[in-house]
Amino acid sequence: MAQLEVKDLSLSYPGSRSGSTFLALDKVNVSIEKGEFVTIVGPSGCGKSTLLMLVAALLRPTSGAVQLNQKDVTKPGPDRALVFQDFALLPWRTVIKNVELGLELKKVPSAQRRKEALKYLDMVELGKFCNHYPHQLSGGMRQRVGIARALSVDPEVLLMDEPFGALDAQIRQVMGLELLRIWERERKTIIFVTHDIDEAVYLGDRVLVMSASPGRVIQEVKISLPRPRDLSLRNKAEFTAYRETIWNLLEKQVQANGAWRQDSALS
Amino acid sequence: MHRSLLAHRLAPLIVGLLSVSLFLLIWEIAGSTETVRSELVSYPTQILSAFKRLILSGELAQNTLISLREFGEGFAAAIVIGIACGVAFALSRTIRYLFEPIFVALYTAPIIVFVPVLVVWFGIGTTSKSIAVFLSAFIPIAINTTTGIEEISESWVRALRAFGASRTQIIFKAMLPGAIPSIMAGIRLAIGRGIVVLIAGEMYVSMSGIGRLISIYSVAPDGVPEIFVLVAVVATFGYVCVLLFSLIESGLTPWRSHS
Repeated sequence: MAQLEVKDLSLSYPGSRSGSTFLALDKVNVSIEKGEFVTIVGPSGCGKSTLLMLVAALLRPTSGAVQLNQKDVTKPGPDRALVFQDFALLPWRTVIKNVELGLELKKVPSAQRRKEALKYLDMVELGKFCNHYPHQLSGGMRQRVGIARALSVDPEVLLMDEPFGALDAQIRQVMGLELLRIWERERKTIIFVTHDIDEAVYLGDRVLVMSASPGRVIQEVKISLPRPRDLSLRNKAEFTAYRETIWNLLEKQVQANGAWRQDSALS
Repeated sequence: MHRSLLAHRLAPLIVGLLSVSLFLLIWEIAGSTETVRSELVSYPTQILSAFKRLILSGELAQNTLISLREFGEGFAAAIVIGIACGVAFALSRTIRYLFEPIFVALYTAPIIVFVPVLVVWFGIGTTSKSIAVFLSAFIPIAINTTTGIEEISESWVRALRAFGASRTQIIFKAMLPGAIPSIMAGIRLAIGRGIVVLIAGEMYVSMSGIGRLISIYSVAPDGVPEIFVLVAVVATFGYVCVLLFSLIESGLTPWRSHS
């Protein structure tokens, strides 16, 4: 049985005209195995982040369900930890206090909290910075804190919403490598949303390609590249082939939706 | 290093001290030589001896303590209730729409007009003044708490919600810490308002306190030096209060001191 099941999940918002509705997600079905690394790509506005927020239960679906271990997900909880594009660190807390946040909310005693937080800070190589404040760190370091914070509650699924989207290209690559290293060690299920095709192929076991308005999963691409992966993979023929496949899927549906101009103007 | 320290921190202090000393010197000469009428404006050495008299008679200590107590009680209540109201406003539109008109009315009306009624209700003692301080101080604190919470980054709340935080946890671990700069600005505003209503209230109807002393000396013959002493005491108290809360603020918001 799959660990996480997304069943006929739809979400619609009231539209700009009265009575009209905007369909953000249309009957999305996804099934994810324990320990799997799934990446989601799609054009802006295809609802890929919305899908993640529904799995986190920060949003309520209009219809359909999300099930974790065969149980309906109805409210947010530490079994599905989020990593945000804007890091979402609390500026008044030191790095270690930020990592402790989830444990603190679960009312874990402070000594144990500290121990766990330090463990994950060491994992993201920020042990030495535990008493710094977020504003004293670079973007890459802040996101490592975000990852440590998400891992500290020992979630079943790690939900990553364009986590490296705010970082520059070089740091993105380094962070991708680090994430793979951590994943290979912890074997958490990861759902990773990105608009970067390279990143999606490089990290994922499987890439879900989404289309915009309405948001749908148009294809799943299984990535049979060997692991552990490193940066040299990006120059291999198989990698390029996967990238081509996904690019073609995206290009077709982006053009079909007339969203092409808008999307390229945004990026 | 030393040169820049001197230039940046000491120089303004030295210039400031010089200008104050020069002002005091001119005032002293003008007053003691009767260039201006000293019974009206007094002069520094006269004020200093008035200060000595007020200390030795025990009047100053006794009345200062009473004023401090009135202010302390009223202001402590204003902080607690002000923040609580501010949170309630930020969380519930219904509560906000119900009470906002009353708050705005109280905020714009001079609280001093309520003092006679407060005296009728609570007596001429310290309670009526504490309540006047509370009334004038809690509204800016409440308003600033509400705006502070409304302006916090949505991502902080989202981070807590994602971990399944309860409403109480979100209030205490995201909203209030995030609103501290705004709450502190409200408190600074409230200090000024509180002191005004305290002194005016004491001058108006009371048996004791700094304000009462001021009104006594304002009708006493040769009371001008004493009034200057009392004004200085009030000003110093306000200054110390603001300084104290600024220190508390920088202690509570270490992330804002980018040094």
